[in-house]
Amino acid sequence: MDFERARIEDVETRVKSAVERAKEKQEELNAVVSFVDVDSQLADLANKDPHAPLYGMPIVLKDNVNMKGVRTTASSRILDNYIPVYDAHISEKLKEAGAIVIAKSSMDELGMGGTNKNAYTGKVNNPWDTMRISGGSSGGSAVLVASGVVPFAIGTDTGDSVRKPAAYNGIIGMKPTYGRISRYGIIPYASSLDHVGYFTTAIEDAAVALEVLAGRDDRDMTSSYEPVPNYASDINSDIKGKKIAILDNVQEAITNAEIKENFDALMKKLQARGAIVEHVRFDDKLMRAMLPVYYIIANAEATANHSNLDGIRFGMREDGASVEEVMINSRTKGLCPYVRKRFVIGSYSLFEENQEKIFRKAQKVRRLIVEELKKALAGYDIVIASASGMIAPKSEDSQDEHLSKDVLVAENYMVMGNFSGYPSMSMPTGFVEGMPIGINMTAKPFAEQTLFNIGKAIEEETGLKGNDVEVDA
Amino acid sequence: MEAYSAEYFKKLAHDIMFDVSDDEVVELQAEFKELLSQIDVLNEIDTEGVEEMIYPFEAETKFLREDVVANVISQEDALSNAKSVKAGHVHVPKVVK
Repeated sequence: MDFERARIEDVETRVKSAVERAKEKQEELNAVVSFVDVDSQLADLANKDPHAPLYGMPIVLKDNVNMKGVRTTASSRILDNYIPVYDAHISEKLKEAGAIVIAKSSMDELGMGGTNKNAYTGKVNNPWDTMRISGGSSGGSAVLVASGVVPFAIGTDTGDSVRKPAAYNGIIGMKPTYGRISRYGIIPYASSLDHVGYFTTAIEDAAVALEVLAGRDDRDMTSSYEPVPNYASDINSDIKGKKIAILDNVQEAITNAEIKENFDALMKKLQARGAIVEHVRFDDKLMRAMLPVYYIIANAEATANHSNLDGIRFGMREDGASVEEVMINSRTKGLCPYVRKRFVIGSYSLFEENQEKIFRKAQKVRRLIVEELKKALAGYDIVIASASGMIAPKSEDSQDEHLSKDVLVAENYMVMGNFSGYPSMSMPTGFVEGMPIGINMTAKPFAEQTLFNIGKAIEEETGLKGNDVEVDA
Repeated sequence: MEAYSAEYFKKLAHDIMFDVSDDEVVELQAEFKELLSQIDVLNEIDTEGVEEMIYPFEAETKFLREDVVANVISQEDALSNAKSVKAGHVHVPKVVK
């Protein structure tokens, strides 16, 4: 469902029916952690301009986004009773724009994972086939958009946590430039990689959403002063002369013939529209290094960020005879085994004797990967590839970031958008075995408009504007 | 203590304030084996003279501001999420016995 379709109903009907749909689908999808009271938000609309961009639009927040007075757990047991006393910057922005938050959505615990199987409330199901995973870590938000519950949901993206679930669920997943959207009031994962992102089903909606969310915030030291353009009114799907680079390392690593054919056919259509489509190749060693670099940096930053989760000032506190025992008991019981293991690995790489050979080495390789991307984008408007080499896997066939000898280049490359901070967007391009598939494109810093313009051209070619399970049914 | 022994991992976990079970230790041992082999993948890449990349953009965006009080929360709010509060403070088990 896109904004246009949502607006067919009056505000109250639209919001109440979104809540109803979310409740009806909860058993099937398990995507909601908490429902949010909409009555007081609807009453507040009386003080808002009816022309506000998201006036009366039902939306969902990932459960790591603070909303004053609303339980925010990050899908972790240790935060199961946490009630924020302040709004995240984006919660304020969305409220100003007239949005109505109907629910907080499930995620991999603290954002750590790519399956959404690591949520305290359990696995989230893919609405196209509930035996399959939603992808993560923003899985709850993704499926609530893909199932037609809401037209817009907030996620966060540290590795590909918006863009991968978007691809698995047949919707648009946007991760803007690092610093474009303030992260103030969002429970962090890895600060040098964390981005706010979001899901929609239409390119115009993605452009409107960014106008609402973007802009400088003094409370986030990484927030950018770059002015916010009129993304929506500036959309132009005339891509004649636009230079598009296919990332060959990814396409060659994909073995699924139908996914390859879908991608190749789309490239031909973009060429027919006048785009110049060529190929780039990154150093294979750097491609293989992406997952270990991510794994080392993300785990190290996460273990430092989450040292405040101790049950003392907030969160679930377990009893103990001393402060130390309270902390140990609270963290042991409050954090799932997957998260605790990652913290051990992160802590290990930060030991003085390991920092140079592990953590700093990863940070140096990160720079080389970013330079490779920068070099490619010097000659092109975007770098493009399939968002995944597979459809959403079945639950039993999926696992979270896990180092293995067979580094899956096609499944891990989107993290280059987090290493670099460059804007990156996934969008649907078709179906394989009844499941959605998609592409991902990355542009130069603050060139979100380029993604929207080329995205619009792709949307016109695929006819998948407003795609969700309800539309397809 | 032998590196990567069960005792070693339990101490690592304890240092960052939690316990790991025996089963979790076995999984950690397997992951560390992989981690060490992946470090070899990184070592194949020449990073001589390359600076660490700490953040995506290295331009400073935070400047000094006037020293005025801003974004303050009340004591009541600050304590509202603590499980145990006494006399306006977060209450914890006695430290000095």
